[in-house]
Amino acid sequence: MKRLFVVLMALVVALGFASTIKIGAVLPLSDITGRQAANAMKLAVKEINEAGGVLGMPVELFIVDDEMKPEKGAAAIDRLATVEKVDFFVGGMSSGVHLAQIPILKKYQKITVWIGAASYRCEEAIGPDADWYFHLHPWDYLQGESYAHGWRAITQKYPQVKIEKIFIAYEEGAFGTSSFKSYQDEFELAKKGTGVWAGLMKDLKGAPFKSAALGGGDYRAVLMQAKQYNPDLFIWAGYDADAIPILIQAKEIGFAPKLFVGAPPGWPADFGKNPLSHGVILYGMWAPALKDVSPIARHFWDAYVKEFNEEPATYFAPLGYTNIMFLIEGIKKAGSLDKDAIIKALREIEYDSPVGGVLKISPSRIIKNQGFRAQKILQWQNGVQHVIWPFEYQTAELIYPFPGWTGK
Amino acid sequence: MKRNFVGYVVLAIALFLIALLRPYAFFYGVQRGSLYGLVALPLALILGIVGLLNLAHGEFLTLSLYMTYLLFTKWGMDPLVSPAVTVPLLLAFGFVVYKLVIERSLKTHHLNLLLLTFGVSIVMVESLNIWWTSRPRNIYVPYASTSVNIFGVYVGGYEFLYTIAVVLVLTGLLLFLKKTRLGQATYAVGQNPKGAAIVGINVKFVYAFVFSLAAGLVALAGALLSVRSSIFPQAGGPFTMKSFSLTAMAGLGNLPGIVLAGIVLGIAEEFVKSIPGYTGWADLVFFVVLIAAIVFRAFGRREG
Repeated sequence: MKRLFVVLMALVVALGFASTIKIGAVLPLSDITGRQAANAMKLAVKEINEAGGVLGMPVELFIVDDEMKPEKGAAAIDRLATVEKVDFFVGGMSSGVHLAQIPILKKYQKITVWIGAASYRCEEAIGPDADWYFHLHPWDYLQGESYAHGWRAITQKYPQVKIEKIFIAYEEGAFGTSSFKSYQDEFELAKKGTGVWAGLMKDLKGAPFKSAALGGGDYRAVLMQAKQYNPDLFIWAGYDADAIPILIQAKEIGFAPKLFVGAPPGWPADFGKNPLSHGVILYGMWAPALKDVSPIARHFWDAYVKEFNEEPATYFAPLGYTNIMFLIEGIKKAGSLDKDAIIKALREIEYDSPVGGVLKISPSRIIKNQGFRAQKILQWQNGVQHVIWPFEYQTAELIYPFPGWTGK
Repeated sequence: MKRNFVGYVVLAIALFLIALLRPYAFFYGVQRGSLYGLVALPLALILGIVGLLNLAHGEFLTLSLYMTYLLFTKWGMDPLVSPAVTVPLLLAFGFVVYKLVIERSLKTHHLNLLLLTFGVSIVMVESLNIWWTSRPRNIYVPYASTSVNIFGVYVGGYEFLYTIAVVLVLTGLLLFLKKTRLGQATYAVGQNPKGAAIVGINVKFVYAFVFSLAAGLVALAGALLSVRSSIFPQAGGPFTMKSFSLTAMAGLGNLPGIVLAGIVLGIAEEFVKSIPGYTGWADLVFFVVLIAAIVFRAFGRREG
């Protein structure tokens, strides 16, 4: 009798394991990007389970904090694979962390849908053979290409806008230098009359700075170099901690380029309330204003606010939601947990995302499964982030030239 | 002595040339260097004079940034007025940290103090992270981004407040240490705590007072910095390293040397940053100058 009970229990446990779809997420939870992405993932899982789960099974989400440290991020993958025994990996933010995770992901070769890590170095590390790897965030070079498409469209719609001389102030870490390198590569092509910036970018200069996030915060030397160069388009690629101090110091030295662009992964709290922010352009995958033009963005916004009593503040929130929903749509379409069937399904589905746009997989330079390929061009106007391009999602007209500092 | 004199002459010529060739770098260097000095002086006071280590020094600065932010956003208090509130508050906070952590490890190995204050720094960062999240906050006041004309060179005017503040704090500290009984007692405790106790000095009080005073002075630096820096849990952390570096460069207990070292390093940093193509070398130059100064001083001492 006792033996029968043990066998029955073992069966129940085994069935129990088989009847749950386990997703393992690795995110930097102390950072707002990771925290909100984690919240959005929980929201997606809740909605899925309330709707009856997928393939008749509930979805279980395990979230591990990578603390933005490569060694912790790599250990998190190992832990999720061996302790929680997850079926899928999701998450991601930092490229540096992801570089350490890639060898571990290759060891397990589970289906991985990653929303972070924009650096081309991660794509090189993944290589062309990882058909189980899906990367949703645009690679840095894809972002650069999409900005070119955006600026070209803007110059056509607004003929007074000129984008010939570009200056890039970039933070000296992996994020900033890889962003600048992407522009340099594109500039080399443009000089030969090829590439996406051909005929648009005539000259490019750049200088690094130490981000406030890493103990820097004095940008005046770089801004002085930019001022002397007098660019049509000025871009700074740093972190949210740099956003306001750069504006203050640009005002201080009287540097007001016609297009003042910021390209951090997130923006500081209340940036829009700062009078210096009016007219600042930003690149981003998402803006809160999208909820006024996209029903799925509206659904996500309302559900997130209701669930967590806070507003989504970075694009990692709708991207985290997309991360789970896209994977689940793939499982649904595959109709089983067979790895090859899910990979095939994920390559075929089209998911209307709250990030703004339809997510569809296509190859990038090296990997086979790249998701989003473009960022959006947004502009802070009276405290609100508006979409300027793509024009199908446009929520306001472009303010040009940058209004400068008078009266601020 | 002669070697020192030659060294100072070379330094003066170098600074003059930088001022002539790159006036922006010179003025910005003076400003940043003054900030480094202003933040480092309290650390130099507790480390150099009474021999207490505090690895949470930068986090004290972070706390004062948040206090200033809170006063500005909740009650509209101007950051330049806020030291009236933040200095006493941080003074009290310093006293609490001293009583809870420092006092208990005074008679143990220095390593204990190092580890304990490192623990305090982690607790402070994580607490701020939980309370405020990692998202940067900012205080905007228009006067923090105004410019002034100095001999035809337009430079930011606000950061000269760091220079004024560092001179005032240095003067105040020197007067306190040399002209008051408590200041003399502080020196005595730093040099020989047992001897000081034997002659009737309340050693525990001196330690508590100096540690709290240092925390209060950090609040002053925090108020001035708050309108120029983003405020986030790790904002003050890097200043611990810079402050230790300046203390090492100037020599323990040499408070005027801290200010001079800060300004020299600030100018060196800004000079490198002003050269197109070499902007990223600023950190390297910072530590090269630091090591050179320490080596120079070591040779000078050996000759002496």
